[in-house]
Amino acid sequence: MLASLILTACATKKVQNQMQGDVYTGTDTVKYLASGVADRVFFATNESVLTTASRDTLRKQAEWLRKNSKINVVLEGHADERGTREYNLALGERRANAAKDYLMTYGISANRISVISYGKERPVDSGSNPLAWSKNRRSVTVKAN
Amino acid sequence: MIFITALSLPFLAKKPIDLPPIVSVELIQISEKTNIPFAPKAKKIIEEVKKKEKEKVTSEQAPPKKVKKEKPDAVPLPDEKIEKVKKIEEKKQNPEKLDNEIKQVSEFEKEELFNPDNIAALIDKSKEETAETTKKISKITQSQDKNVDASGLTLSEEDALKAQIFGCWSIPLGLPYNENLLVRIKLELKPDGTVIKSEILDHARMNKPGQGFYKVLAESALRAVKLCQPLRVPAKGYERWKELLLNFDAREMLEG
Amino acid sequence: MRYLNFLVLLFVFIPIKAIALIEVDITRGNLNPLPIAVSPLSIDKESNQSLKEILRKENIGSEISIVVENNLKTSGLFNPLNKDAFLQEADIVHLKPRFEDWALIKAQALITGKVTYQDEKLRVEFRLWDVLAGKEMMALAFTTVPSNWRRVGHIITDKVYERLTGEKGYFDTRIIYVAEEGPKVKRIKKLAIMDQDGFNTKYLTLGNELVLTPRFNPTNQMVTYLSYFRNMPRVYLLDIETGVQEVVGDFPGMTFAPRFSPDGKKIIMSFAMDGNSDIYTMDLENRVVERITNHPSIDTSPSYSPDGKYICFNSDRSRYQQIYIMKSDGSNVKRISFGKGLYGTPVWSPRGDLIAFTKLHKGKFYIGVMRTDGSGERLLTENYYQEAPSWSPNGRVLIFYRETKSDSEGKGFSAKLWSIDLTGYNERLVGTESDASDPSWSSLLSN
Repeated sequence: MLASLILTACATKKVQNQMQGDVYTGTDTVKYLASGVADRVFFATNESVLTTASRDTLRKQAEWLRKNSKINVVLEGHADERGTREYNLALGERRANAAKDYLMTYGISANRISVISYGKERPVDSGSNPLAWSKNRRSVTVKAN
Repeated sequence: MIFITALSLPFLAKKPIDLPPIVSVELIQISEKTNIPFAPKAKKIIEEVKKKEKEKVTSEQAPPKKVKKEKPDAVPLPDEKIEKVKKIEEKKQNPEKLDNEIKQVSEFEKEELFNPDNIAALIDKSKEETAETTKKISKITQSQDKNVDASGLTLSEEDALKAQIFGCWSIPLGLPYNENLLVRIKLELKPDGTVIKSEILDHARMNKPGQGFYKVLAESALRAVKLCQPLRVPAKGYERWKELLLNFDAREMLEG
Repeated sequence: MRYLNFLVLLFVFIPIKAIALIEVDITRGNLNPLPIAVSPLSIDKESNQSLKEILRKENIGSEISIVVENNLKTSGLFNPLNKDAFLQEADIVHLKPRFEDWALIKAQALITGKVTYQDEKLRVEFRLWDVLAGKEMMALAFTTVPSNWRRVGHIITDKVYERLTGEKGYFDTRIIYVAEEGPKVKRIKKLAIMDQDGFNTKYLTLGNELVLTPRFNPTNQMVTYLSYFRNMPRVYLLDIETGVQEVVGDFPGMTFAPRFSPDGKKIIMSFAMDGNSDIYTMDLENRVVERITNHPSIDTSPSYSPDGKYICFNSDRSRYQQIYIMKSDGSNVKRISFGKGLYGTPVWSPRGDLIAFTKLHKGKFYIGVMRTDGSGERLLTENYYQEAPSWSPNGRVLIFYRETKSDSEGKGFSAKLWSIDLTGYNERLVGTESDASDPSWSSLLSN
């Protein structure tokens, strides 16, 4: 009984630490393009607005891309499983483009960036819970060459 | 600029699906069978009449459009047919009703021969005219009825009858719920409540386009009457109720 | 003149005096499925022997009757009676049913029939009888190759259904869907096609790339769907019979959510560019592309009205996903969903009077229908996750897919096809060989 209480408490605390509003702020699923350059940004439910943290991540990506001018990237936009398939494809595309636009304002040429949406087809976390969904609402920058 | 890129099929399963050929549909040939065997020993029923009776098999539905019809020379002329049917009917008990049935068969077949697409001719069309007149008449009486309640059924009499028929009527479940779902059936009854004759008023509606469900509804009402026989009629006053009009309305139930 | 007057008097008086017809209103009945007996189809020895060798079935007559029986049962409108109670044998009842026997077991309708094998063809005859009226309602025969025997069962069901309900049936149809397998994070998806009752599954793609949302054209020979071939999500067109396939149009970005126009001549779909999805059509004859919507919001899941004059779609132009209709040229856009929650995947019914949709409200997903002006919303089923309804060709049944919850390892997850009546009753799992999603119902294959 006590053990389970503690467990619950821990879980709650963990969730709070990893989400702000319903945007994922953890690092469980994050990979790195280079040291200190996270590959992905996260979104609130049904949103494609970049958070402060996301903009920070993308500025680092832009800096890295400027340094490695031969590298092209694909931005993969994703949605969580709590939406209709077709709408989510559009939403994923919108998210990836939000990231693309931001990279472009930091000087990365549009022809180095391509965009693809997977909608809800490629989650990173299989769970059916708010934390898992928050990890899945993302745009991931992937090296294309 | 718009293109279509035809791809070779690296991502297709190897064999494309072959849809099996379309089934052909044909009308069953009208044929005669003699000496129909009956079921060896089905529990209750012993048939008296039939052993050597000539039987005729007709088909009631016209084939769908694509369909090849079998050669018409196999189909007897309507007149010929009536005669054959009559022979059978003479042996049965209820001449008036059967007479109608004969007409049904012939009317129907005529319809089919001339217009294979019209499938909505199940019930005697020759009744249409009388039905139309009866309808006019009953409209007049309807308004009268309200004033002349003395000649109607008492509440308890009506309730008994209603309760009985409610139990017998299987409302068809596929009916459109936003249509007029009223069928009026006029009955002629014997003193014991058996039905001598049942007749659908507004019979013409059956053949109207988009009213296919009306026939289905009408048939269900006729089945209910048959299933309920003999009807729970009052013991007295045969003259009052020897003719009865049942208004079957499915709307309330389907909306319910 | 006097004579005329007399006639008039007659006309007025006689009815009132002579016929004071008593009327009784029958406004109640039972809504139980119609009890129907499906007698095994009779088959002669010789035919049975030949067909046994070809089809490897002990008795194809009774197999066909089982197909019919299952169809009728699935419809929810009929109650096929237990064959053990039948008093008459198949071979005899086909000639002349003893109606009393069938009335005794409470059958109101009876199906009998006969199977023969002649000239390498399967010939199936059947008759539908009104047990209470004691008469034949319908008689038809079909001839086809033996391997088509299940289809014969479906066509018989369609004919019986139509004769007894007044509506077209939906049994001689197929479902195209996406067959799924593998873990949630790396799901393998293939296009699959099967008979409406779950038999005869065939796979159209190998699963090497992601495929989504297949839909039939009106003649059921073509399918349009989304494929991630070469990691470029595009709408494709596949000819089922030849296996030839093509990309639809030459768009510089993702195209998705395709459907055919009711005449089969156009594909309507979304095209996403720079974060904005709009609706486009492409004419399949002259390849002309037309832009239908032009709005910075997400416009997707378009579906034509059966007359081709209108399009319904979902859009988040009012901030959240809602259902809109417009004329087929894109004018007169009008929002029609105003209930609480989000609304998506509108599909116009083949009858034209209703739009089916998916609704998300307070963490639950609903399949529902509303009139085309948005009134009369009815939610048919609620669940953890379900979406993408598709209409049966007669507009009476919806098929959709439903997913279950899973833990972070993906355990507990499943995706299955379900069907439900327009009335909200008769919800059923549609059997598939694997997990399944994105079902789309064909039109009737025959006639």
